[in-house]
Amino acid sequence: MSAAAWICLLLPLASAIAITVAGTAIPRRVAGWISTATTAGAFVAAVVAFADMWSKAPQSRGQVTTSWTWLSAGPYHFGLSLLVDQLSIVMMLIVSGVGALIVAYSVGYMDGDDEERRYFAYMSLFVFSMLLLVEGGNLLLLLAGWGMVGLSSYLLIGYHQDRPSAIAAAKKAFVMNAFGDATMALALFLLIQHTGSLDYRAVFAASPHSGGVANLIALGLLGGAVAKSAQLPLHTWLPDAMEGPTPVSALIHAATMVTAGVYLIVRCHPLFEHAYVIQDLAAGLGAATLLMAGLIALVQTDIKRVIAYSTMSQIGYMFVGAGLGAYPNAMFHLMTHAFFKALLFLAAGIAIHAIASEQDIRKLAGIGKLMPFTRTVFLIGSLALVGVFPFAGFFSKDSILAAALQRGWYGDVIYAAGLAGAFLTGVYTFRLFFIVFTGEPSAFAREHFHRHHGKEGPSWMLAPVAALALLSCIGGFLQFSPVWHPFSDWLAPAAGSLADPTNTQEWLTSAAALAIGLAGIGVAWAIYGAKRVAAPRAWPVLQQKFYWDELYDVLWYRTGDLAARGLYALVETPLIGGSIAAVTGAFGLGSKELSLAQTGLVRSYALALAGGLAVLAVVFLAAR
Amino acid sequence: MHHWLTTILIVFPVASALLVAIAPFSTYWLGSLAALASLIEVGFWITAASKFDFGSSQLQFSQRASWFRDLHVSWHVGQYAFSLWFVGMTVVVMAACTIYGWWVGRDRGRAYFALMLVLTGAIVGVFTSQDLLLFYAFFEAMLIPLYVLIGVWGGPDRMRATITFVVYTVVGSLLMLASIVVFGLQQGTFDLTKMSTSSSTWLFLGFVVAFAIKSPLFPLHGWLPITYRESSPEVSAVLSGVVGKAGLYGLLRIAIPYFPQPVHDWRVVMLVLGSASLVYGSLLAFRAPDFRGVVMYSSLAQAGLIVLGLFAHNSLGFDGAVLQIVNHALVSASLFLVAGMVERRTSTGEFSKLGGMARGRPALATVIMVAGVISLAVPLSTSFAGEFLILAGAFQQGWGWAVVGAVGIVLAAMYMLRAISGVLHQDVGPAVSDRATDLRLGELAIVVPLLLCLLGLSAWPNLISGHATTTSSDAGAWTRYAP
Repeated sequence: MSAAAWICLLLPLASAIAITVAGTAIPRRVAGWISTATTAGAFVAAVVAFADMWSKAPQSRGQVTTSWTWLSAGPYHFGLSLLVDQLSIVMMLIVSGVGALIVAYSVGYMDGDDEERRYFAYMSLFVFSMLLLVEGGNLLLLLAGWGMVGLSSYLLIGYHQDRPSAIAAAKKAFVMNAFGDATMALALFLLIQHTGSLDYRAVFAASPHSGGVANLIALGLLGGAVAKSAQLPLHTWLPDAMEGPTPVSALIHAATMVTAGVYLIVRCHPLFEHAYVIQDLAAGLGAATLLMAGLIALVQTDIKRVIAYSTMSQIGYMFVGAGLGAYPNAMFHLMTHAFFKALLFLAAGIAIHAIASEQDIRKLAGIGKLMPFTRTVFLIGSLALVGVFPFAGFFSKDSILAAALQRGWYGDVIYAAGLAGAFLTGVYTFRLFFIVFTGEPSAFAREHFHRHHGKEGPSWMLAPVAALALLSCIGGFLQFSPVWHPFSDWLAPAAGSLADPTNTQEWLTSAAALAIGLAGIGVAWAIYGAKRVAAPRAWPVLQQKFYWDELYDVLWYRTGDLAARGLYALVETPLIGGSIAAVTGAFGLGSKELSLAQTGLVRSYALALAGGLAVLAVVFLAAR
Repeated sequence: MHHWLTTILIVFPVASALLVAIAPFSTYWLGSLAALASLIEVGFWITAASKFDFGSSQLQFSQRASWFRDLHVSWHVGQYAFSLWFVGMTVVVMAACTIYGWWVGRDRGRAYFALMLVLTGAIVGVFTSQDLLLFYAFFEAMLIPLYVLIGVWGGPDRMRATITFVVYTVVGSLLMLASIVVFGLQQGTFDLTKMSTSSSTWLFLGFVVAFAIKSPLFPLHGWLPITYRESSPEVSAVLSGVVGKAGLYGLLRIAIPYFPQPVHDWRVVMLVLGSASLVYGSLLAFRAPDFRGVVMYSSLAQAGLIVLGLFAHNSLGFDGAVLQIVNHALVSASLFLVAGMVERRTSTGEFSKLGGMARGRPALATVIMVAGVISLAVPLSTSFAGEFLILAGAFQQGWGWAVVGAVGIVLAAMYMLRAISGVLHQDVGPAVSDRATDLRLGELAIVVPLLLCLLGLSAWPNLISGHATTTSSDAGAWTRYAP
């Protein structure tokens, strides 16, 4: 089992290195094949590890293997170790399985791009990083994977290097995630101080069970989680991240990386359970995000941005689940979401690929007639997203809401928010579907649509999409909480659910959510399906996305910029470098009278040094 | 034989310098001779590392010969585990820089290569001398070649740069000399292995100011901007990569172990200065208009971070600081050399005239990207490991220091990504012509080994952090190298 886990982790890394080193020695297409084969190989290794685990008793399924001590200092040791248990194996299967489908899709999507090799090296690097994140056997490796997925995300968002908007989006994503990394690191420092270790078991056993420290630890981890998962208030990077190629959006910004925050909370649930205030905060932030993102999604006109806001909203549901202690339900939704959201992105990618890389839904209007396959799979994805029986979202989303009914008034508020979110989901999803896929094709679409050998796209693209469509249809049947729940039972030893809603609550919630979702679809049909309203009217506050970008611009970027300019103008130039100006002047005046100039020089430098020492003295005195 | 190794590491490059100075060869062959000598020096160091006993806390490869008997001054050299890493980063960076000078074909090669080799020997001497006066002699011997290297082979404004550098370093050296003389006379010996601790605040401050100028620390970094911009790129790489480390080494080897009481009293002040350097350097790096400016101010920030680790007073900070010193030596040398390679193609380092260099130049793009992200301490890189240990150590002194450090992490991401994009991405800058080639094989042969060292360390940073000291507890981490 442990060997399989190591192979699963290292195959994609080997692929990234091989493609980078090989460079132009291999044809562009071969880079795609290498990347696909190694990701599929990682999936096979994960399946082997899963089968091995299946054969063991539930309590002995978790296993830690250490290869070597990665870092140590004095009495502290942090090993390069992998933890394979019921939770990480689920993530490994999702990451490598969905990853292999999306990388294969990329072979068709990126065909002809003159920097395909770079793309596939980055994709392999991402798969490695994400596997490191989920397999890491201690919090330091979790943080390492956390940062590495941020790096790969930066590289892939900025893949189109000559596009200023892409580079700006990439930098924004990285910096915002660096902020999350920093708060996580602070939580880790607290853990080192209080437990002397970062191994999961040691930390969970020895961390403080209540009080301010426990809250701070959970808060620091939550900071990393909300940044990575694009939840309030660190969410603004995700819509901009759609600058990356569409398969990147599907893999990183929908199916896997952005859900890492949910994994973090579930993985570290003992720490969060010692800080119930922070757990409530996580659920609250999730509820607020799912509403806000749903509202913004109503008015977006870029097909990928609509889906991106929907991702934020769905991760909001997962945060609600993880915050309420319904860990298996959150993880189950994470899995089904990976299926149907990757499906939606990839289907959108087929349309974008076929119609001149256009992403504006007003120009893409009515392409369903031209692309019946894409229309069908997009419909499947949309129905799964809204949670219509029998598609995947129906089974996973509602059970999260049912768990909220166990938490008093706070839970009731969240429950109401979740139902409202279900309505919004119905409206924005089918607004998108009706505009893009029903009615008569727009002139733009007719003009630019081109078939690929008589099909809607290359087989490399269509086959993975079909597989994901199948998964979105049947994936939900793995668990239907009121009736059967093998998924929760599987996860129970690693992350057992705290919430235990009654069957009545489950049934009622499912019925209510389904009805409300259908109502949302009905509203969307009334506005966009029946009347064909092309451009939606919108409130400025929604179009400006609640002004978060402007807020951060002022709070962080402009403040930093101002501080830097101020320091440069008020300290660096006059105080530190002031002597240099004096010297230049002295040179200009006394180039002939060399001796005079030299005297001036030394004096001015002595002055600068004395100034520096004076500042130092003041600091010394002030600090003592 | 083994006890000769340290002496060989010092004397061999100096002897090679003499050979270069008199050999009747053309500049090209003098350069190849110097390059060969610098590589043999690396070989000597690898021999030393392979024979080093990391389980022992004793001074190793040590050699002592009396020098001024009356003053109890001696040629006493040797290496502790952490000195071994200082020497290693020195010989590796110096080899890369010497070979770079050879590759670009510096004029007046005889003098140039001889000076680079003398510099190598002097820096190794600084990191291995166990006698204070010998330490001072090497410290000065290290500065003299630098004056010439900056003043003769620098940019248009090199004289001003040299004078700035000279005045700052001379003031620092005088303070240090005064402290050394008084300290040595008080103790009756200059041998570091025989000296005992002192509680004199004035001596401590004398050392600290001298080392703070060298490192450099805010607000004593006035020599940094002009010197790093006007020097040739490989000299900037040496200055930032290894010469600045002499200041940090002085804190680690002298100021901290021999002055426990003043260190305790002044710890907060030093932490404040470290934090100030970190934030100040990071902010200025964010505004710097050119590639070298970013690397240079990030060196100031890194020096501040390392001081945070040194004065964190525990093994986390101490081992993290040693690791981070090596990391920064390798990464800043790589970045300065790459900046030089960019400048050779475009005649400028200013972001307003650069950009778009990634397209069609995959090797250059890969090298800058790898060096850049390691420099901003992306998790899993060895700089991340170093910063993590340093901040974990600083955290135990008080959470505020680690919060400042965390702000520094975010700022590092901001300035380094800005620099990477400024050179590589977006619209092609006016100074970038189609004829600007990708990195040539010779350039790759210089910078890729440095990056491979960094990537190797990223797989196993414990090579340094776990082998910098021998004790496994916090007790005595502080005064471990004072008897």
